[in-house]
Amino acid sequence: MKPIRTRTVRAIAVAIAAGSLVLTGCSGGNDGGGSKGKSDAKSQADAAEQQDPVSYGDAAASTGPAKEVSGAKSGGFINVYQQSDLTHMDPGQIYVSDAKQFSNLVHRGLTHFQEDDKGNLTVVGDIATDSGQSSDGGKTWTYKLKDDIKDEDGNAITSADVRHSIERLYSKVIFDGPTFVQSWLSGNDYRKALPDGPYKGKHLPDSVLETPDDKTVVFHFDQPRPDLPQALTMPGYSIVPEKQDTKEKYDHAPKALGPYKIAEYKAGKSIKLVKNDQWDAKSDPVRHQYVDGFNFSNTIDAASQTKRLLADQGEAKNAIQFTDSVDPAQLSTVINDASAKKRTIHGYQPYVWQMTFNLDRMKDKKVRDAITYALPNQSMVQADGGRYGGEVAGGLLAPTLPGFDPEYDPFGKLKKPNGDPEKAKALLKEAGVKEGTKLTYAYSNTPRGQAQMVIIKDALAKIGFDVQAKEIDRASFYEQVGKLDNPYDIYMTGWGQDWPSPSTVITPVYDGELIADGLSNYSHINDSEVNALIKKALNEEPEEAAKTWEKAHHRIVEEINPAAPVYYSKQIQLYGSNIGGARYSTESSYIDINNLYLKQP
Amino acid sequence: MLQFLIRRLIGAVVIMFLIGAFTFFLFYTIPQDFAALSCGKNCSPENLAVIRENLGLDKPITTQFWEFMTGIVTGRDFPQGHCSAPCLGVSFDSGNFVWDSIVDRFPLTLSLTVGGLVIFLVVGLGSGMLAAWKRGTVVDKIVSGASIVLSSFQIYLLGPIALGIFVYSSGLLDNPKYYPFTENPATWALGLLIPWAVMATIFTAQYTRMSRSTMIEQLQEEHVRTARAKGMSRSYVFFRYAWRGSLIPIVTIIGMDLSALLAGAVVTEFTFDLPGLGRLAVDSSINKDLPLTMGVMLFGAFFILLLNIVVDLAYAYIDPRVRLS
Repeated sequence: MKPIRTRTVRAIAVAIAAGSLVLTGCSGGNDGGGSKGKSDAKSQADAAEQQDPVSYGDAAASTGPAKEVSGAKSGGFINVYQQSDLTHMDPGQIYVSDAKQFSNLVHRGLTHFQEDDKGNLTVVGDIATDSGQSSDGGKTWTYKLKDDIKDEDGNAITSADVRHSIERLYSKVIFDGPTFVQSWLSGNDYRKALPDGPYKGKHLPDSVLETPDDKTVVFHFDQPRPDLPQALTMPGYSIVPEKQDTKEKYDHAPKALGPYKIAEYKAGKSIKLVKNDQWDAKSDPVRHQYVDGFNFSNTIDAASQTKRLLADQGEAKNAIQFTDSVDPAQLSTVINDASAKKRTIHGYQPYVWQMTFNLDRMKDKKVRDAITYALPNQSMVQADGGRYGGEVAGGLLAPTLPGFDPEYDPFGKLKKPNGDPEKAKALLKEAGVKEGTKLTYAYSNTPRGQAQMVIIKDALAKIGFDVQAKEIDRASFYEQVGKLDNPYDIYMTGWGQDWPSPSTVITPVYDGELIADGLSNYSHINDSEVNALIKKALNEEPEEAAKTWEKAHHRIVEEINPAAPVYYSKQIQLYGSNIGGARYSTESSYIDINNLYLKQP
Repeated sequence: MLQFLIRRLIGAVVIMFLIGAFTFFLFYTIPQDFAALSCGKNCSPENLAVIRENLGLDKPITTQFWEFMTGIVTGRDFPQGHCSAPCLGVSFDSGNFVWDSIVDRFPLTLSLTVGGLVIFLVVGLGSGMLAAWKRGTVVDKIVSGASIVLSSFQIYLLGPIALGIFVYSSGLLDNPKYYPFTENPATWALGLLIPWAVMATIFTAQYTRMSRSTMIEQLQEEHVRTARAKGMSRSYVFFRYAWRGSLIPIVTIIGMDLSALLAGAVVTEFTFDLPGLGRLAVDSSINKDLPLTMGVMLFGAFFILLLNIVVDLAYAYIDPRVRLS
């Protein structure tokens, strides 16, 4: 998926992803007030219990309506607090968390994640009758469409609309969304296969994408693609009805298939969603339509959101945080206020923050290991909200991934969370690194980045480095460190999965065949064994693949060490007292937007 | 008069062109690939090229500048559709027409300005005149003392205090919000009551001090003393002679404050989470959204220049000795 990137100053932590292992029972009060040790032990136990991979649902699981939320009532409007506008509303352009949350309300695709009360995920058919039927050893996937799926204007959705939705991703209209399915169908230079998309009457050949009748869509790949049902849950693959496609304009006025449609959109300011009367609950196994709509205010920063929700007065009683978190400066107030704490949801996010080494400059593994040992991970967590903001990481795969091993800790970070400077010094001595050696550290000029810079500078100075801290504007941080010839030795980067599979983490970040300007292999790791393991895993069935991914992960962390694990990211959000049905969503790693209602509409 | 207006308007156009040129070329001194800011995870060279083309960044800088400036007069065509004059381009960030964004934000900024202005002018000028009228008395001391204290406050201090008292603790009022005046004037006023009150508290102080000192100064002028000596009543002289004379410096300050507020009351808008022009300006600048930044800059410059002209005209009206030539 993506790094934790600040695409603009709106500075939203990007996240699309889903997580299969996020804590269950993450509603407020479960562990918030307990001792730290007890709480963390519970976190690890919960994570360990939930390492089942995502399952694929059949037709029965894909049939609506969705399971009723206990005590839910109809009516009223929910106020949505958000500090910046959505990055996009055109499904094809959607790749980050804010727009993904929005997409859950408005768009629908072939498949979607269904989440049970314990946070376990099942891929079900959304507008398709099931999660997909594979044949030809996983190279061919067939989807049948449900009856009576309509857009907000009452137009029936057919296979031609699905074809159109995929083919428009090849055009220049779309440049910001996911590219998995296009690349799987037509290769990495997929745009050449259909340069104008479907807009000039051309289509992909039936040998690639076939629509034999109005209700059937067949994907043909050149190799097995067992992850297709999960990839198709991404909002980037939601349906854009052919007749409704207005190309560039669609980003501001998309047509809904989901339970809500856009009544008013004011760029950078507000959005009003109202009920889509063409949405049929019987066709939807995931979503509800309890409230009459949502009023988004997109100019309220996290500090104001927290203040308003803490006070819980007036319209704030009906309000939620969308993808922003509790303001770190007010976190202790929230946690220490019993009534406010009851109104929180929290859990793991899919991101792992890591100290990335530029392997073109940091060639000696002993030096990389020394820095890894020296890093004060716990202090770094404290600078990002403390125990509700993160948790010390032992490896590079998040607790939200199947196969996560809470015991994995090759650098002893769980035992010495604030580092082991003595061991680090010994390694530097072995490596012949002299006292006062310069080390260039690039960091983003966010409050968190600035606070962590001080910690890192201090910690590395203690083992003899003269750290040259280089501040980079938050909006262009990933662009700068994503350049192959960047002049930095180390930099903090974050990454999260696109769906609960290590393939969406290890491949983009550690595959040596994906080293180029602008890509996500920030360390420039190019290890033949890791590359081979990645290729192997991508062609294996899930159970076998899990073992191969684990092997690749261990090889990366222990034998190469291109990035020191620092901490797993966590999330805490607050909502108003009149909000019902609030729970942490494993799928979105935010409040479950599909379940909400007003206690007193 | 006509010559004066024509000359000033031509000057304003030239200044706006220079501001536009300065902003535009200053932006390009930033070592930043604007296309990369819109490029997501898959920031391949191909995707970057697509974004550059979509944003028009693949053209020479001079061409981009010329298209921007001529678009203000003639309008332009974009993939999103035709952008009618005055077209200020398309936001890099949102893809919206800049003019539409400005027009959308302006009513809030105008409401903030007008409401605040009415309060701080009435209260500020009134209390200043009262202090001058009662010079040396307890009333004067109270008014002068209060204005010194209040003028030392800032919106970012008083704002959160007001919110804490009237919204978060007591729930007497809801969070400030803009509702169109045309929909419901009462809701409009109630939604902006706290920002107005806070703005007025701070701005009032300077107008109180200013009007008091200029009134006292005017009251000591020879023509005022002569009028009194001729037997005119104190109140007649106070309002007919002294007050009118004291308006020149006040009008100057009003012109400056008004143009600054109309260009965006940044601190007020951020303090109360109100999406006006000031917030748009700051966001666009941080986002390195060149067309939006230029649009807001030019819009603000327009008001500064317009109000300068209005102030000059006001001088002539207030003081017949001033000639617009």
